Amino acid sequence: MPSPSVCRWRHLSAIACLSLALPCIASADDQLDKLSQDHNQWVIPAGNYAGQRYSGLNQITADNVKNLHVAWTMSTGSLRGHEGQPLIIGDTMYFESSFPNYVYAVSLKEPGRILWKFAPQQDKFAPSVACCDVVNRGVAYANGIIYANALDGFLYALDAKNGNVKWKVQNADPKLGQTQTMAPLVVKNVVITGVSGAEYGVHGYVTGNDATSGKQLWRAYSTGPDDQLMFDPDKTIDGATQKPVGKNSSLASWQGDQWKLGGGTTWGWYTYDPKLDLFYYGTGNPGTWNPTQRPGDNKYSMSIIARSPETGKAKWVFQMTPHDGWDFDGVNESILTDSTIDGKTVPTLTHFDRNGFAYVLDRRTGKLLSAKKYDAVVNWADHIDMATGRPVLNDAMMTKENVNVKGICPSSQGSKDQQPASYDPNTKLFYVPTNHVCMDYQAFNVKYKAGFPFVGALVNMYPADHGDVGGRFIAFDPISGQTKWEIKDRFQDWGGALTTAGGLVFYGTLTGEFRAVDINSGKVLWHFKTPSGIIGNPITYTYNGKQYVAILSGVGGWAAIGLAENLTKATEGLGAVGATATLADYTNLGGTLLVFALD
Amino acid sequence: MRTFPASALFGLALALAGITGAHAAGKTLKVCADPDYLPYSNRAGEGFENAVAETVAKAMGARLEYVWDNQRAHGGYAEYLSRNLDSGKCDVVMSMPYGNEEELTTDPYYVSSYVFVFKKARNYSLENMNSPDLRKLKIGFESDTPVESGLQLRGMVQAATAFDVAETPGKSPRSMLQAVEDGTVDVMITWQPAIGAFLHDYPDLTTIALPNTRATGSPEMYSFPMSMAVRKNDEALRNALNQVIKQQQAALTGVLHQHGIQIFGDNDGSASPSHQMANL
Repeated sequence: MPSPSVCRWRHLSAIACLSLALPCIASADDQLDKLSQDHNQWVIPAGNYAGQRYSGLNQITADNVKNLHVAWTMSTGSLRGHEGQPLIIGDTMYFESSFPNYVYAVSLKEPGRILWKFAPQQDKFAPSVACCDVVNRGVAYANGIIYANALDGFLYALDAKNGNVKWKVQNADPKLGQTQTMAPLVVKNVVITGVSGAEYGVHGYVTGNDATSGKQLWRAYSTGPDDQLMFDPDKTIDGATQKPVGKNSSLASWQGDQWKLGGGTTWGWYTYDPKLDLFYYGTGNPGTWNPTQRPGDNKYSMSIIARSPETGKAKWVFQMTPHDGWDFDGVNESILTDSTIDGKTVPTLTHFDRNGFAYVLDRRTGKLLSAKKYDAVVNWADHIDMATGRPVLNDAMMTKENVNVKGICPSSQGSKDQQPASYDPNTKLFYVPTNHVCMDYQAFNVKYKAGFPFVGALVNMYPADHGDVGGRFIAFDPISGQTKWEIKDRFQDWGGALTTAGGLVFYGTLTGEFRAVDINSGKVLWHFKTPSGIIGNPITYTYNGKQYVAILSGVGGWAAIGLAENLTKATEGLGAVGATATLADYTNLGGTLLVFALD
Repeated sequence: MRTFPASALFGLALALAGITGAHAAGKTLKVCADPDYLPYSNRAGEGFENAVAETVAKAMGARLEYVWDNQRAHGGYAEYLSRNLDSGKCDVVMSMPYGNEEELTTDPYYVSSYVFVFKKARNYSLENMNSPDLRKLKIGFESDTPVESGLQLRGMVQAATAFDVAETPGKSPRSMLQAVEDGTVDVMITWQPAIGAFLHDYPDLTTIALPNTRATGSPEMYSFPMSMAVRKNDEALRNALNQVIKQQQAALTGVLHQHGIQIFGDNDGSASPSHQMANL
């Protein structure tokens, strides 16, 4: 049994205050939901259950942001990609580094003072099966416990006061190609986590563990028979048809036993609607990469699924990309808002899919309300048929065995990957970091690894039109499909967004520029060059009544896999090196937490 | 078995003896090779790639110069090519599947295939990946090869044992045979040229070649025509090597047989590697 190493700890008065202020609230979601409405803290990775990454704090404004400066910084102790964000609970900041997944509790009272550090002892095999750098997307919090996923599949419950391990369970096994990179979601007394590793034929699933004991409550798979999916054939709704899915709807969409290696991994951001008592997440690409080898729709890869957090049972499912041939994982976040459609207010979820379409679904039923391209270069499909929910394909852009296809947009990295968008309830627009990258796909290239020939797909990625814009940060209305403004960037915008009541949106670039942008005009009002490229997500909070903005800088992830792994060949790292070939001219590896404030 | 002509052995003898003779021409053939990765190559010149390089250099009247580097270091073969071939440190590698588009390949100079390796005494009935016997056996395979895809396709990969010789510096492909010998696995499915040279140390083992198949609906490729490779723009050297391959095919085949490599088509006595391409 690996023993945790807790470096240093102190009793935190903040936690005590917190529990006094909110005595004996039974379920984590009640407490968390309330806590997340206090904009002085940041208690859920995505800011709130709705995943809006919006803060009501307004001390830092478009007028004064020019005076923003570094308040304090600290090294995360890890070189690789940081795709997460800190949490702020009371007067303590918590965050997790990329592998080896250090978890820190840092004092806000004595900024940068490490109250405790947790270093999980990990299966050394894990990094070798992580597809796209050994990233991590952050910790979750509930009821005095920090929940942290380690790359090797262990979920740790750490006492927020001292970092002691209250329990741990293994939800993924690197020996089976499974790893963990995502931030858990805690609802009621359930910790919900997914799994990574579709590249290795993992049979994707989502797991609910008891938040107090760690005991597994349920596990629901993405592909297979109804009982494994936790689908009720008569009650679970197919969002596209608005009818029950029927018996074994996933099995019918696969040839033979192929669903067992069906992929559909679940490594993105999860959201939750307390009123409907449903959580929402997306599933990734189907197993075996070669689409010719897996005829059928490959359900329910590439889908959004709504489930009950306590039972795991599925309420509805909507598949975005049937029979994927491009690696357009459907794992991106579903942001919960109200939308006005034809004069009516509807509870919706908005999902900027890798496939380049912004889906708006009625989150009660999964009914498709809108699906507009959010990048004009998207060409694999002409549009989404609103009657069937299916993409109307451009046949020339389908990847096929023995057929080379040039100029597919977007690339496998999608018009947007995991980098989470934010929402502003005032402008009612979404602020979306995107990839403006296309690809040439050569389905079957004979290749060689030292001593052994094999057949592999060759993917070359490059900025759209072979130009010099690899990323666009956009303000977007998913109902009208209008882009209000855009900022063009040299590389993919692989970091998340934060909107604030100060009329600002914050985000970081792959080259390491951290920016504050006027939410109305898209004008960059302030910027700061951080030590490394940014693929993390900004947050904001107050301490002693003063507003701070924090970001993790530390390049890596799929966007910068070449830099992260020191690779130079354009076809390494699932083709991602080509798209970012000169990133090394701009930045370097290394995780740093940066906190900013006004004078 | 086809017997190779005497001229092949003669060519080999010349190649081994003839390195000094090449100086006169003033040409140098700079070959990238691994200093410690038998049966492919080593610094002592014992690998089949060494022998092939010697044959080729001799035929070109060139001095053979090795540029040594570890093929299994960080980033694997792709980075090895980047560091050595693409950078211009060396001009040719001896092994690349024909038609690879990352570099420029020559005409193929041999075709071999992935094979089942098991103890003769076990008498398994193995013809292809769909043979029922295979489902009952402990299988070993090299990861990231067509064998892994084939096992995945049949839902057999999780019960099988993955080997990672190609990415583990210092690990000999001999370990794959040893695993069969020890009973760690019942059958190893691996690239024949990786283990051919060691088979004489394991007389109790036998091999059966895997046929290319469309049994599952899509093509599965287990045999590969193998070429040398040069930089993408180096057509002059590629053309020169093609000439050598054409003229020295018999000598090259002899060298490969000498090193235990089973050449696809050996059993039916059929034609040259180029001809074999038509069947793939």
